[in-house]
Amino acid sequence: MDYDVLVIGSGIGGMESALKLGDMGYRVLVVEKEASVGGKMILLSKVFPTLDCASCISTPKMAATIHHPNITVRTYAEVERIQRRQDGTFSVSIRQNPRFVDEAACTGCQLCEQACTVAVPDQFNADLVSRRAAYIPFPQAVPKKAVIERPGTSPCTFDCPAGIKAHGYVSLARSGEYEKAFNLVLESTPLVGSLGRACFAPCEDGCSRGSLEGPVPIRRIKRFVADTHYQSELPLGVEPGSTTGKRVAIVGSGPAGLTAAWQLRLLGHEVKIYEAGPVAGGALGLTIPNYRLPSEVVAEDVGNVTAIGVEIELNHRVTDLGELSDRGFDAVLVATGTPRSGRLGVEGEELPQVVPSLDFLETSKLGRGMDVSGKRVVVVGGGNVAIDAARSARRLGALAVTEVCLEGRSEMPAFDWEVDEALAEGVQLEDGWGIARVQGQDRVEGIELKRCTAVFDALGRFHPTYDESARQSIACDLVVVAIGMGPDTESFAPLLDRRGNGTLAVDPGTLQSRVPKIFACGDVVDGATMITTAVGQGRRAAHMIDHFLNSQAFDPEEFNLLLPRVEAQDVLRRQKTHSRKDALGSGKELVLDPRDFHEIEAPLSEAEVHYSAGRCLDCGVCSECHECVNVCPADAIHLDMRPEKVETEVAAVVVSTGFKLFPADLKPQYGFGRFKNVITGMQMDRLLAPTRPFNTVLRPGDGKVPERIAYVMCTGSRDQTVGNPLCSRICCMYSIKQNQLIMGALPLADVTVFTIDVRTAGKGYDEFYVQAEAMGTTFIKGRIAEIRELDNGDLVLRYEDIEHGGEIREAEFDLVVLAVGVQPNLDTRQLFGAGELQHDPYYYVEEVDEDLNPGQTSIEGVFVAGAASGAKDIPESILHAGAAVAQAAAHVEALRVRS
Amino acid sequence: MVVESRDLREVIREEPLRRREILKAVADGPRTVPEIAGLIGCPTHEVMYWVMGMRKYGYLAESSEADDEGLFHYRALERLTP
Ligand SMILES: Cc1cc2nc3c(=O)[nH]c(=O)nc-3n(C[C@H](O)[C@H](O)[C@H](O)COP(=O)(O)OP(=O)(O)OC[C@H]3O[C@@H](n4cnc5c(N)ncnc54)[C@H](O)[C@@H]3O)c2cc1C
Ligand code: SF4
Ligand code: SF4
Repeated sequence: MDYDVLVIGSGIGGMESALKLGDMGYRVLVVEKEASVGGKMILLSKVFPTLDCASCISTPKMAATIHHPNITVRTYAEVERIQRRQDGTFSVSIRQNPRFVDEAACTGCQLCEQACTVAVPDQFNADLVSRRAAYIPFPQAVPKKAVIERPGTSPCTFDCPAGIKAHGYVSLARSGEYEKAFNLVLESTPLVGSLGRACFAPCEDGCSRGSLEGPVPIRRIKRFVADTHYQSELPLGVEPGSTTGKRVAIVGSGPAGLTAAWQLRLLGHEVKIYEAGPVAGGALGLTIPNYRLPSEVVAEDVGNVTAIGVEIELNHRVTDLGELSDRGFDAVLVATGTPRSGRLGVEGEELPQVVPSLDFLETSKLGRGMDVSGKRVVVVGGGNVAIDAARSARRLGALAVTEVCLEGRSEMPAFDWEVDEALAEGVQLEDGWGIARVQGQDRVEGIELKRCTAVFDALGRFHPTYDESARQSIACDLVVVAIGMGPDTESFAPLLDRRGNGTLAVDPGTLQSRVPKIFACGDVVDGATMITTAVGQGRRAAHMIDHFLNSQAFDPEEFNLLLPRVEAQDVLRRQKTHSRKDALGSGKELVLDPRDFHEIEAPLSEAEVHYSAGRCLDCGVCSECHECVNVCPADAIHLDMRPEKVETEVAAVVVSTGFKLFPADLKPQYGFGRFKNVITGMQMDRLLAPTRPFNTVLRPGDGKVPERIAYVMCTGSRDQTVGNPLCSRICCMYSIKQNQLIMGALPLADVTVFTIDVRTAGKGYDEFYVQAEAMGTTFIKGRIAEIRELDNGDLVLRYEDIEHGGEIREAEFDLVVLAVGVQPNLDTRQLFGAGELQHDPYYYVEEVDEDLNPGQTSIEGVFVAGAASGAKDIPESILHAGAAVAQAAAHVEALRVRS
Repeated sequence: MVVESRDLREVIREEPLRRREILKAVADGPRTVPEIAGLIGCPTHEVMYWVMGMRKYGYLAESSEADDEGLFHYRALERLTP
């Protein structure tokens, strides 16, 4: 047996139960779902009728519970299932939710909370003020340790193949922290400006805001932070790690190679890149046209890599990987991409005016573009590269540009928007055609097409079929072939395994080749993909190479392991309404027949960034901006913590899960949630508490000190219309307590209580009521029919004045407090198997022998303490806990005797 | 002041976004919540959430007394962390 008694819930009922049992020498496990013990009591101002300070009484009990030698406390944990076993004991499954903070290391300094960029309603202040995603529940929390709210990974971050914390930089941009946003992207890759422009942005495809008016322009926000950094001339806020003495050679300076180099250098390794081309950047530097990605931006990104000491040798084609080993490199990474253009395999292809797309794009990007002015150009292919080539040909002055592809318009591999843009610029499209031959003797004169009847076979494999009789010819002077790209790996063949398509075969998790010190990543392994995919693979390769160099075991499953994706419908459900915030336009300026390569997409203005980042829904709550990690002096924050399953055995169970408050918006005639100066009793208790959310009692509508305050008693209690005929027992008394405290805090305030009757059963309770009346509270017998809001936020209450002939009257107030009642906590229904733990007709845990054995439930060995079995105030809950634990102790003893 | 209510979560989420506007509004001296609301063009009850959040996290502090209209005046504080 691991523990004698499991106590579920750590409000006053649970703490009292645990302490009494612990004092008797029993081993107790307390499981609390919030991050602190204390329940509702610690959040109260004072307690009736003594007016003792609630936290002064509660805090010592909370500390005693945590520090008691016989009590183990699990906060931020949930009991998932309890099963009674044959021998009368119980097996218990517990889910320990991760705090993402090492409790032992955290000093409770709250620096993480101060730095956090996400604001959410503070449930511990009854939603009157904000808290942060990283938070310490309240000032007297025990344990006083931070916790980070992370229900999962935000879709944008989850969907980013590069592993960039997209939500993080959006939230930093929202706070105006552009340099920090830039640095956050640098944690993944140095290519901030390039990705900000040329990334196809899978983050935006799944953005939850997309199901409202359109996604947050996540990529363009990144572009803004990159541009802001580069224009600022601020130094790079990143330094290489301390030197390890290990040397790594990287072949290829594309997104994969550059990212790997960056990461390895940050880890302290010496890195040298060999690049075959005349500029660094791979496709970024050589082929993606300047109108989408200016060369200067690529140069700035590459500058980040060289700034931390990576050496790049240009115009150096590596053909012998063994030679690199001989030069003393401890590891080699091959990241040579897919530099070869596919061939048509038709008659006439050998003519000099038939050029591979990559050559065409490269000469154009490097400013040595072919002279096509006045010429008719045909581009063959239906993908992104073909579109780039066709649009480049227009800019180079071609007379006409026709794109020919096998696929019909809707099947083209290029994105729809790209095709639309090409058409808008005057590219003509001949879709659904294959190439029969290139016409001409010494030079190209035209191209003959044949109708493509299907591109794929029944199994979805690429297998075009044609109607050979349906043909047409297009007269042209130049043919650009953009029908796919492949790797150039023959020279690596003796050492490395290759697949049929020439890509390198490496372990998909570790990216290690058959030669242990040689790794490969990016498109040379995966075939043509996207920049962001190559970046992600570059990161993975660096991580694995670092493990290899340090002789650590590989952990391919752990790398970039994210919490599950938060789904859009769950995010949208968190709010009752979403106000409309339209998405911005694309910002692209398209002209027919463009004649230069200037960038077509306008940058976002700061106001647009502000507006757009303000549309983010904070899907994963924590944005992973890493600000907390950066400021925590104790290094206590570990975002890689994961939920833990704990199985344990106990002899008895005490259910002390307390109650819920009536949701005041279920009485719409009182206007809670719509009228800003209508609050609940719990909110007023918070306003009166020493750790209150405002500087004093103020109206939430405008911050004014209220002078006329009304109480509406029995809100949600003794009310068949909301299905609750029961008296909640506590609301009369807490209202009377608050009346007295208000008169202390706001001596000029008038307080009026509208009541059916005042219920004050309990020692000293009636005297307490009389005292409130003597202090000036007016009690009016009458139920409120309706509340109206005036333009100035004041409230008009309409009521039946029962003691004056039942006349309907109206009265005006500054602030209205709804004395909300108590409801059962339905969590108790999930604890045991269906129907095992019985509930009374009002859904409270049933006490089967309430008169003689209070606290005994329908299950032998399971007891209930406090308000889980019905409305109780603090003294009653303490008494009830005493009754429950006496029986729990007796049960434990009986089991001992039996065994 | 009968204004359409936005969801509480949506309003509170905007605090980091509104912070700069509010700090600008109090740059020349302390202001009440209705004054700040007028300057930044937002409803007073929304400004209350942001001002109280900023007060909680050390960006703003209140005057010692309320004025004749029962309103406190909030001023910017030097904050240790950004
Ligand atoms: C025209 C075009 C447009 C594209 N547009 C986009 C886009 O807008 N968005 C997007 O996400 N993706 C786009 N892509 C795809 C994207 O560029 C690739 O997925 C990405 O660049 C792959 O990165 P990589 O590092 O694996 O390879 P690459 O970028 O190809 O880099 C490989 C590098 O290795 C060098 N190299 C090759 N062989 C050797 C050798 N033997 N020795 C030394 N160096 C060598 C090459 O010169 C090159 O610099 C586009 C691709 C092309 C061609
Ligand atoms: S910054 Fe670190 S030590 Fe301070 S409260 Fe947060 S987690 Fe704890
Ligand atoms: S709403 Fe925000 S957090 Fe959610 S997916 Fe979009 S950008 Fe990411």
